[in-house]
Amino acid sequence: MLAYTLRRLWQFVPTLGGVVLLVFFLFNFVGGDPAYLLAGKISNPAQIENIRRQLGVDEPYPVQLWIFVKQILRGDFGASWSTNERVADIFATRLGPSLTVLVPLLLISTLLSMAAAMLVAYVRGSLTDRAVMIGCTVGQSISILVYILVFQYVFAYQLGWFPVQGWGVAFAENLLRYSALAIIVGIAVSLAPDIRLYRTFFLDEINQDYVRTARAKGLSEGRVMWVHVLRNAAIPIVTNILLQLPGLLAGAFLIERFFGIPGIGREVILAVERSDFPVIKAVTVYVAVATMVVNLAADLLYRAIDPRVQLK
Amino acid sequence: MRQRGVWALAWQRFRRDRLGFACFIVVIAYVAIMIAAAAGWIVRDWSEEVGVSYAPPTFLGAEEAAAVEAKARAHQGPVADYGIPDPLVADLAEIAKGLSGAASDAARAPTLAFGGDKWGRDVLKKAVKGTQTSLFVGLTAAMLASFLGTLFGAQAGYRGGRVDDFFNWLYSVFTSVPYLLLVLAIAAVVNQKGTLTVILILGLTGWTGIFRLIRAEYMKHKVREYVLAADAIGASSSRRMYVHILPNVSHVLLVQLSLHVVLFIKSEVILTFLGFGVGVDTVSWGSMLAEAGSELLLGKWWQLAAATAAMAVLVTAFSLFTDAMRDAMDPKLK
Amino acid sequence: MNARWRVLWFAVLLSAAGVAAAANAEKILRVTFQAAETGFDPVRVHDYYSGSVIEAIYDTLLSYDYLARPAKLVPNSAEAMPQVSADRRTYTFHLRKGIYFADDPAFKGRKRELTAQDYAYSIRRFFDPKYRSPYAFLFTGKIVGLDELGDKAKQTGRFDYDSPVAGLQTPDRYTLVIRLKEPDVNFNYVLSFPLTGAVAREVIDTYGEESPSHPVGSGAFYLKRYVRSSKIVLAKNPAYRGLVWDSEPGDNPRFKKIAERMKGKRLPLLDGVEISIMEETQSRWLAFQRGETDIEYQLWEVSPTFMTDDGRLRPEFARRGIQLDRTIDPEITYLAFNMQDQIGGVPNPVGGFGKERIALRRAIAMAYRLDDQIRIIRKAQAVRAQYPIPPGVAGHDPQFRSSIPYDPRAANALLERYGYKKGADGYRHQPDGQPLVIRYTSTPTERDRQFDELMKRSLDSIGVRMDIEKARFPEYLKLQKQCRVMMSIAAWIADYPDGDNFMQLLYGPNTGESNNSCYRSKEYDRRYEKSRTLPDGPERDRLYHEMTRLMEVDTVWLLGDSRIRNALQQPNVIGFTKHPVLHAEWLYLDLDPDLTAQ
Repeated sequence: MLAYTLRRLWQFVPTLGGVVLLVFFLFNFVGGDPAYLLAGKISNPAQIENIRRQLGVDEPYPVQLWIFVKQILRGDFGASWSTNERVADIFATRLGPSLTVLVPLLLISTLLSMAAAMLVAYVRGSLTDRAVMIGCTVGQSISILVYILVFQYVFAYQLGWFPVQGWGVAFAENLLRYSALAIIVGIAVSLAPDIRLYRTFFLDEINQDYVRTARAKGLSEGRVMWVHVLRNAAIPIVTNILLQLPGLLAGAFLIERFFGIPGIGREVILAVERSDFPVIKAVTVYVAVATMVVNLAADLLYRAIDPRVQLK
Repeated sequence: MRQRGVWALAWQRFRRDRLGFACFIVVIAYVAIMIAAAAGWIVRDWSEEVGVSYAPPTFLGAEEAAAVEAKARAHQGPVADYGIPDPLVADLAEIAKGLSGAASDAARAPTLAFGGDKWGRDVLKKAVKGTQTSLFVGLTAAMLASFLGTLFGAQAGYRGGRVDDFFNWLYSVFTSVPYLLLVLAIAAVVNQKGTLTVILILGLTGWTGIFRLIRAEYMKHKVREYVLAADAIGASSSRRMYVHILPNVSHVLLVQLSLHVVLFIKSEVILTFLGFGVGVDTVSWGSMLAEAGSELLLGKWWQLAAATAAMAVLVTAFSLFTDAMRDAMDPKLK
Repeated sequence: MNARWRVLWFAVLLSAAGVAAAANAEKILRVTFQAAETGFDPVRVHDYYSGSVIEAIYDTLLSYDYLARPAKLVPNSAEAMPQVSADRRTYTFHLRKGIYFADDPAFKGRKRELTAQDYAYSIRRFFDPKYRSPYAFLFTGKIVGLDELGDKAKQTGRFDYDSPVAGLQTPDRYTLVIRLKEPDVNFNYVLSFPLTGAVAREVIDTYGEESPSHPVGSGAFYLKRYVRSSKIVLAKNPAYRGLVWDSEPGDNPRFKKIAERMKGKRLPLLDGVEISIMEETQSRWLAFQRGETDIEYQLWEVSPTFMTDDGRLRPEFARRGIQLDRTIDPEITYLAFNMQDQIGGVPNPVGGFGKERIALRRAIAMAYRLDDQIRIIRKAQAVRAQYPIPPGVAGHDPQFRSSIPYDPRAANALLERYGYKKGADGYRHQPDGQPLVIRYTSTPTERDRQFDELMKRSLDSIGVRMDIEKARFPEYLKLQKQCRVMMSIAAWIADYPDGDNFMQLLYGPNTGESNNSCYRSKEYDRRYEKSRTLPDGPERDRLYHEMTRLMEVDTVWLLGDSRIRNALQQPNVIGFTKHPVLHAEWLYLDLDPDLTAQ
């Protein structure tokens, strides 16, 4: 196990190297020159030159790349080009709001979809199963953009149950008042695909030999479901959630923008719009590392729970 | 032969699934619409401005007091030249003499079957034309992703060793970079615009899931007897990969292909929101939804409804069809 | 749920504070920005939104009268308008005494008075290469000795704040003397620009690189709470000197009503301003309707929901007591052509001064459906721009009429005449038989897509093929500055309310800086140079008329529109009207506590 973990950690290096090259390439060849944006409405070539020198984008590419690598090793990506804020601070302050939405969202939607998936897996093939599956498919076929537009219009504006948008100071206020609708939209969007996915996980388990053995031993169907199937199906479900998390952190920009949540996704969009390279670099590296760590954790988890899984 | 038998069995099972089969018909109908629109047999005139701006659907009736006609800025009489001569003055004077009478503007309909967009284009026709673009994008991008995923997965799974390491590395790089930034990177690399970009972005970012599955399948199959037997009779390794193993994993591929069609049709909406949508001379469901965002607030809900409905029907049918197909090919899951 | 929440929340507040009914006594104005700010250090920012907050926090030497139209300069931290020497090169300012900065740890517990030194320091900062100030152009080439100091710093790597600058002198604590290299009739406008407000050197030295998030000024508000790109909370500065509301309403009945309620009051009347950043129009509009915000004017896309076609507030909103303030923004949009013969070494089909090139540009301008831009894209909330100088800016001429009509038939005939023949595919070729493709550049946003569609439809009507180049905003700016945009829709909003700010956009030597059409006309440049020495008046107007006609005859631009700003206010907002130049009007506003309670 230790040897495996070490080997996997060692594999982080080339992957991170690839990510670094990719983001470096992205920025230098296609990212747009931030100098022209930072120079304001009226600028002359001398000012542009000065800005480029200040930002260090006039250095030869290998030098810039080396600086980038040093930044990663030190874990310090400097300051944002457009706001001068330390990049580390940007993430420290945006992580809270992002998680305030994401954690309850994932928890609630997982519990709901697991319950529903187990139910339909239990009555597999029945009319209920088919109806739920078709309902999920229809729900899944509508774009998240439509969910946001309509939910905000109906629940926040017409019915007035929630504020349209906003963010306060107190955690409880943010969670219960401002994040509530965003969480509901997130659940509405993720429920359908999750039920469909988890149903297959449960079905996979139901068809396993050990389940048949348990049934043959005379265990009640309910006990089989609750004890054996649930425990084993939980592994791929937890893995699935873990693997989603890093991507969701940067990917929840639609919800964050519409509901005014000062999270990471919104910051990434802003950085891309402003060609704010330090922020882009940092978010890429952070998300890449998080993804790799989560992957490793998921594999180790598998191993710990299910000794049949062989780690190569 | 064994293969044909498996497929025939699957087809039989599939035929029995009435819902799945109905969905299959719906999908075929959409594909027919796509082909007809692409060939120009239908909705050739989708971009013509036939109605007034935001013409409501016919069943709602025309809006009272159609928009005040903007005052034409032609023929406003001579303007002072402030002593600056116009080199084109003689030409324009002669042209003006030749063009007598006011230009006739075709009358615009106050209502359209399912309403009009801001330029007065028929929303229904746009939705049909959008079907062409979106379905084409979904299908081609899914094929591209499947092609890449299979190619890489087969190589990695079959050959193992350094080849496997390389493709695993590529896989981890692609899955580690935040999606948005990956999209940006690829958009920049392909440096094209419009529909082709969308296809390339989706295809080049979307192969990773397929890769992982196909790789696993190849690892499983390469030690099977029939492959070893092929090896014994001297089949080349690429022949073993693509002639012998591929048909045996094709059911996995087919299911993945259609899952990705659905996924990509939905992703196109997000790409459009991010500014990587189709070109200005065409229309997709994504571009319709992006426009419809603010229209909903204006009470012009029809474009949002048309695009959402067209998309929901196809995506639902496609998903259920995929489920039925999977059940038919892998009866164990049923 | 909302009501219950409010009750619950109220209960929490009450129990926490232990004091009854103190909660809603504060007058907090809630507004929104539609794009994120970048920070509040005046020399480091260039966006309008940061500028609005900076205006509220810092004191400029001069400011604008709130109600006077056209905009009129008044002294702010200066005692009076500056004494200008006969040669218009020396400006002498006398500061008001007893203006203090807001308290800050950087002052180590002492009260810190605003002095002339602070202005000299603040102006110098624009030239410190370290800050790469986007608004350095305000002072570039103007003040004796200052550019040289900046150049020296670029060589040595250190900007010397202590070495004397001949053009920036402070003979005593309250006197600032600025000497200019050349006479400049617009220099007073520069010193009213929000970014020229005074910062204290101690504060900058204390916070260093953190200066954008630690603004300390002597203005009416200070930064109380700040969540970047999400929420900016300003509170009344207790150390503020307390301006008295005093403005002449003129004949405008609405202004008279404002003056009636506000005259003689000590400002600011608000206890604070709470700014939320909301990028999405739907969020802003719904939030305003739900009463979550007090003033909202960034609602162009949805204006038909609250405006009638003839420019009044819809009755259902008027009944609710919602107030409307309607002004024309001091901005113009225009369709701009690249006038150079070549773009990056490739012949430019729309560039140059040959008659057939002028004819092509003219035909495109005559085919562009400007009325649809106003009616459909702007939802009728814009007026056609006939003149490069928009209303509300000195030099605007309401009588002037554009000489380019909308006439696609004549445009087609013109192209035929000059040999742009249609090929088999229905698209025209260049007179020499080369294919004709116009490259139109815009950014990948939904807003720009509407313009793309309109442009495409317009060009199709004259059989000209168009190719769209999508560039993200920073890239677009770069292409513009490098004269590599062939055709685009551009916009310019006034930095200061004088026509010069607009007419300079076509001055040849400004190519690569602000003349993004890269237009070089001896005739234009000669007149522009002369106009710069003249104050606003008939003589300068005559030159501007000729320059505008030159622009149209050469067809460098097709003037587009100026947007109408429909600012909605909740019933409890008192005294609001959008000022044409000031970024934010918070200083002059009040909230009616009785209506707030409702």
